[in-house]
Amino acid sequence: MKRIISLVLTLILLLSFTACSGNFAQVDLKEPIALTEDGIIEKSVFDKIKNENAIATFTGESGDFKYEWTVFGSDLVDTRDVNLSLALEKTDKGIKIKFSEAEDFGFPALLSIHLNEKWTANSATAFDEETAVYSVSVTGSKTSILNISVNKIVAECEILPDDTKQEENTSSTESNKDTTPSNNQTNKTDDYLSDVKESDDRIYSDGKNKEKDKYETDPVPEGKPMPVEPEDQEVNKKKSYTCTFSIECSTILNNLKDLDPDKRELVPSNGVILAPTKVTFYEGESVFDVLQRVCKEKGIHLESSWTPIYNSAYIEGIHNLYEFDCGELSGWTYCVDGWYPNYGCSRYQLKDGEKVEWRYTCDLGKDVGCDWMG
Amino acid sequence: MMRDSFADYHPFNNFLYFTLVIGFSLVLSHPLAQVIALICACAYAISIDGKKSVLFLLKYCLPMVLLTAFINPAFNHEGTTILLYFSNGNPLTLESILYGFSAGAMLITLLLWFSSFNRVMTSDKFIYLFGKIIPALSLVLSMSLRFVPKFKSQMATVTEAQRSIGRDVSSGSLWQRTKTAILIFSIMITWALENAIETADSMKSRGYGLKGRTAFSIYRFDVRDKYTLIWFGFCGLFLLSGTLLSAFGFRYFPNVRYAALDMTTIPFYCVYFALCITPVVLNLKEERKWKTLVSKM
Repeated sequence: MKRIISLVLTLILLLSFTACSGNFAQVDLKEPIALTEDGIIEKSVFDKIKNENAIATFTGESGDFKYEWTVFGSDLVDTRDVNLSLALEKTDKGIKIKFSEAEDFGFPALLSIHLNEKWTANSATAFDEETAVYSVSVTGSKTSILNISVNKIVAECEILPDDTKQEENTSSTESNKDTTPSNNQTNKTDDYLSDVKESDDRIYSDGKNKEKDKYETDPVPEGKPMPVEPEDQEVNKKKSYTCTFSIECSTILNNLKDLDPDKRELVPSNGVILAPTKVTFYEGESVFDVLQRVCKEKGIHLESSWTPIYNSAYIEGIHNLYEFDCGELSGWTYCVDGWYPNYGCSRYQLKDGEKVEWRYTCDLGKDVGCDWMG
Repeated sequence: MMRDSFADYHPFNNFLYFTLVIGFSLVLSHPLAQVIALICACAYAISIDGKKSVLFLLKYCLPMVLLTAFINPAFNHEGTTILLYFSNGNPLTLESILYGFSAGAMLITLLLWFSSFNRVMTSDKFIYLFGKIIPALSLVLSMSLRFVPKFKSQMATVTEAQRSIGRDVSSGSLWQRTKTAILIFSIMITWALENAIETADSMKSRGYGLKGRTAFSIYRFDVRDKYTLIWFGFCGLFLLSGTLLSAFGFRYFPNVRYAALDMTTIPFYCVYFALCITPVVLNLKEERKWKTLVSKM
């Protein structure tokens, strides 16, 4: 008798569980979906992504390259059959993409191309003939991953790594219209700032020091600015300069499986939290001061904590994306003009025209081009 | 204040009830579930202790909830709803305040459950339940539970005795009083150690924990115990499946999200309330029965 009762009970329990977690559609959105040869994804699949508000990934291969599409359910409005396959081809300097789909998808999708080599540039740009069409962020630890937020389809384009020295001219260009006014602006500030270069009182490293400083900072590479202590700095509100700030987390999109499921809806579908923005700062301000002001102005969440042994603020989370939210090696890093300073952001004194990028890493900096950490 | 008739039920039922309610109070973070647990824990504490527990609630529990609600946002800045900024630039978020209230409510709910647990699960019940399975641990537990009240009464005796031979803690110079107090304390430590060894020895010499040894107990598993056991078992399984199916799902960070209250989730809350309020209902029933019996005479 007892046995029968326990059997019946377990049966009921099992039934109730399978009934509630039963999945009646054929596609499982939690796993990456491999593209078939023709590359066509049917409307019903997109509808499912939209209805479940899921994040789906589609994987494909072309030649030696693997690529991946990430589609956010929240971005989908009208759906239709879409051909997601690509033809990728290596060129002298970059990669050539040929889309199979001729018309626009009707929704933004993130394309990640996995390369077999490591690119040194942090960013790249896709050109259709001479026109810049997409800006590309480069991530990946051992081999590079190119991330492109595709909104409009062009038949063919070539991705070329941005030359770090000329970055100011080529980066942050999404279309030609954007480039012209910003070029004008930089020219103007250059004229007006001819005397500023003299007032650049930062001390640069000569690369001779081999000791750690009193705040545990390893020697600063030659030619890079030495850290300054925030308590010594006086902000002079009379002298104002501009610099470029951007905040992005595209590495999370490459590692969605590690992401804390509660944080999924926070990740923007193109990985950009703050597109490159010109901001005004005052003499004597550090990267941290400016970040705090920018976030406040734009209403972006920011949590930091003061770390006395490094004499700097530590950025715990931006936009509610915190350290360790996407794996054990994840957190926020910053780079100025392509260099990741080896000291805290409160100790980096800004100079006019510098380009500051805040990037989320999922691999202790290696996937965003910072190699000195571990 | 009324007679706690739930305490007269079989110890296994008492213990099962407390493990269930304490476990679910710890796991369920849905505000409705927390409010249910808090109300029931208060009701039970009041039905056992009456006025004393009302005072305890107002004096300690209410400030504690408010304190955690204030302290949590000072250290926790996660959340998408930014209300204002602190002077160090970190945001004050609505989510962290809500979480503070929830944590405070959980804390006092557990405090109340444990205070009732202490009143209901006396050490003889504990030994009765676990003396056979884990004899050493249950002896140590019951000894340590008994330690504080026993220590208190012995201290009173020793202080009295010392006073009668002229060593009074309440008079004399500061130096003298300290000396006496230290002496009494030393006596107490010696006594406590010796007492523990004596108890252990005496239990051993009586064959405590040996195989085949029976123990006297006044507990009987009768029909009402059978029914309450079935009731607790049903509630436990039902709520466990509800938790696994996330009927009580609630998250505070980064933004508040919760399982909707609809026909599929409301039954779980009803059962949770029914489970938590069971002893109070039993007490009220017993009270009414007693009163009707009295009035007939």
